[in-house]
Amino acid sequence: MTPVAACLALCPLLAMLPGGFPGVVLGLPLLIVASLVFAATHHEAPEAIARATIHWIVWLGGILGAVLVFVTVLGWFA
Amino acid sequence: MPPPPSTPARPGHVIVRSPDDGAEIDLRSPAVAALLAWLVPGLGHLYQGRTAKGGLFMGALLAILVAGLWLGEGRVVYASWRPGEARLAFLGQAGVGALAIPALAQAWRLGNAAHETFLGSTWLAPPLHAGQYVTPRYADRVERAEPDLPDGGFVDSPPLAVCTFDQLSLWHQRLGRFFEIGTLYTALAGMLNLLVVYDALSGPLGDRREDGEDPAP
Repeated sequence: MTPVAACLALCPLLAMLPGGFPGVVLGLPLLIVASLVFAATHHEAPEAIARATIHWIVWLGGILGAVLVFVTVLGWFA
Repeated sequence: MPPPPSTPARPGHVIVRSPDDGAEIDLRSPAVAALLAWLVPGLGHLYQGRTAKGGLFMGALLAILVAGLWLGEGRVVYASWRPGEARLAFLGQAGVGALAIPALAQAWRLGNAAHETFLGSTWLAPPLHAGQYVTPRYADRVERAEPDLPDGGFVDSPPLAVCTFDQLSLWHQRLGRFFEIGTLYTALAGMLNLLVVYDALSGPLGDRREDGEDPAP
């Protein structure tokens, strides 16, 4: 199977992905890209960018995760 | 490759120091780099020779931009300032010039006496509303682009056609939450690109040395 044929074969599968994904999973790429861009605009060396990216993923993920847990708990009482 | 510390800055070039190791970074012409970075994420950094960061910005931001357009079936980026339907998300999406310029052009042309977009294309065009006049060619294009358009979507009113439906409602009905998710992806890509533009303009955190000044000790 050529790479082009493989890509074409995957298209229907890819088209089905969003429907089966919970919304929170669709937020993960944004979290990673935002952390990566924020880190790369504050540093120049690749090692420093990598360290800062992980730092920001942990912080942003932690804060957003805490908000998500809070909202979920509120939802149980609603 | 940034020049070694002993290399004097070329005329017109701006040199800044890396906050990590103090190495000099040649920003070339920062205004040109910022303009290129606004047009296409990462292009300004490639112009400055900062290829690793340019590739990183280009890959990351274009990935979420394309993903957002795909999730929203290409409908989520448009400019509209109609009362009650102002597209505030476009303020974020406008952070990427390659999308902002054609979207503004499409909105301007559809809203003026032309009554259709450039080349009659529905790409990046704002949604039609009931009572809006368009050319028969544009009406035909919209009918082909909208799979769930109701019968009698346009009424002939020579030499134009009158729209009888709310296109934005059709998009929301068909795409559901993916319209909002696609909007979020593209708006966030635009806003993050403003940080990239700033990085191309001023470099990362560090002391700036303009051409002709002595390097910092």
